[in-house]
Amino acid sequence: MRVLKIIPERCTGCMRCELACSYEQTGTFQPSKAVIRVSSFEGHTSYAPYTCPQCAEAWCLTACPVEAIGISPAGAKEVADDICVGCKLCTIACPYGTVFYDPDSHKAFKCDLCGGKPACATVCPTQAILYVEAGTEDWLASFAAERALPAALAGAR
Amino acid sequence: MAAKRHVIVGGGTAGWNAITAIREIDKGASEITLVADEAPYARMVLPYYLGRQIGESHVTTAGPQRLAALKVAARLGRRAARADAAGSKLVLDNGDEVPYDDLLIATGSSPVRPPVPGAEGANVHSFWTLPQARAVSGGIKPGSRVAMIGAGFIAFTILNALVSRGARLTVLEIAPRILPRMVDDAAAQIVQGWLEARGVVVRPGVQVTAIEDKGGAKVVKLKDGPPVEADLVIMATGIRPNLGWLEGSGVEVKAGVVVDARMRSNVPNIYAAGDVAEGPDRVTGAKAVHAIEPTAVQHGRVAGANMAGREVAYPGSLLMNIVDVLDLEIASFGAWDDAGAEAAVDLRADRPAYRKLLFRGGRLVGAILLGRTREIWATNDVGMLKGLVYTGKDLSAWKARLRARPQDIRLAYLATGTARELLPQTLLGGPSVPERDVTVNA
Repeated sequence: MRVLKIIPERCTGCMRCELACSYEQTGTFQPSKAVIRVSSFEGHTSYAPYTCPQCAEAWCLTACPVEAIGISPAGAKEVADDICVGCKLCTIACPYGTVFYDPDSHKAFKCDLCGGKPACATVCPTQAILYVEAGTEDWLASFAAERALPAALAGAR
Repeated sequence: MAAKRHVIVGGGTAGWNAITAIREIDKGASEITLVADEAPYARMVLPYYLGRQIGESHVTTAGPQRLAALKVAARLGRRAARADAAGSKLVLDNGDEVPYDDLLIATGSSPVRPPVPGAEGANVHSFWTLPQARAVSGGIKPGSRVAMIGAGFIAFTILNALVSRGARLTVLEIAPRILPRMVDDAAAQIVQGWLEARGVVVRPGVQVTAIEDKGGAKVVKLKDGPPVEADLVIMATGIRPNLGWLEGSGVEVKAGVVVDARMRSNVPNIYAAGDVAEGPDRVTGAKAVHAIEPTAVQHGRVAGANMAGREVAYPGSLLMNIVDVLDLEIASFGAWDDAGAEAAVDLRADRPAYRKLLFRGGRLVGAILLGRTREIWATNDVGMLKGLVYTGKDLSAWKARLRARPQDIRLAYLATGTARELLPQTLLGGPSVPERDVTVNA
């Protein structure tokens, strides 16, 4: 399966992935509705995008009471808008924080790999987001652990 | 060898997930009999039926065709009268006997009403089953005065629907605060203020003494204040697991049927799942009844897998709830009310925003999250809090930071490699299969 592989060291924080993602998902540019979200580290000196790892357990899918979440041909766990009622069980089942609720449509939404052509990877100017054949991984853990040093930042505003 | 005979009592979330787990594994090799007083449907989506966002057919989880396709012999409209554990047979309410090799108790819960005069009167409804949802829906017109007795999670799941249908709502709660088993005082106060500002009358700390009729209307009498007049009364005063039929069966029952990590009771070929099961609690390690939908799903899958012969140990359930009322999001996880935990609290004066993180040592054992729906979903915090409580990640190095800025959940989550720990974990030992892709061999 092809997955979104993230190489955080390449990310420049341009936020194009969030913009492209929200445009693809909602038809408008609004990062708050992007399903890939960029974190900043160490006073905005470095950045990394984070999105659904398309996990094997598929917590969201098994939690849905009306089978609104399936697996798409691209291998993504995908919400069917016409079945989803917006009960949010998927959002608390998911331990990755990557299933969201849209207060406008009253539906759950998440990364569906844009049907196999993920917009975030397409627009990333530094190839920090690749859509490649790989096993899914926690791409950010080491990068974040090095840069988000809690002791150094304790109390920082 | 004769095909193994599985008997499932209850067609709700736990029972249905057990059935699909069995079929996912055995592809139809066993016999499955489902005994249920109602055809399988999803209670969780009844609020959306009440709100008229979906029709009745949307509520059904498994119609006759689906049951037949999964080779399930359904005894619908029947209840279990008793379990004969020594004889390995189930006795139904009509006297029929159903022999089994293993039995799953998944009889769920029923709503309870306080024992006050008039509690069973006309236009007094529970909201739990589909027929009850139909009755409530049929009783509401724009402008209807609705008295909601009880301000717990179930009451809150239907507030949006009632308001959208044009009901004028009064919420009565016997506890000193609303949502007493989901959030703390500070959060409850914010929610109450939010509802009141939107025209909902909220009266915590009141006890109903009687429900009377007065010229076609209902009058809810209170011990602690003036009575409330309404056209329709909804009793959302809690649920109780359906366990009475197990008396004398030899199955050990405390708050629920006590089960081990494989959802097995003290009787080796009797399993229990969902609201009736007292199983492992992820946070405390003790046993607990977590009568919530996500636990019913997992219990059902684990029980089904074990019944199908795959040895699966359940890592334990996490108490959690999420509900929004009129665009205010309210969620809590784990031991949110742990009085002995160290709390990091962030309460905003300028807007409805509150979060509370509860630590035991370096471990996050519970959390409360409250805020405007739009603000909450601009973050990853709902699921990340779940992930942090679920994994019990060591956040010792992050505690001071999170106390100063409880908004930094995402950084703590990423930097502690929470996803790395979670990714290899699967409940049944492999990738989950969508229910609709579960089929049986011809």
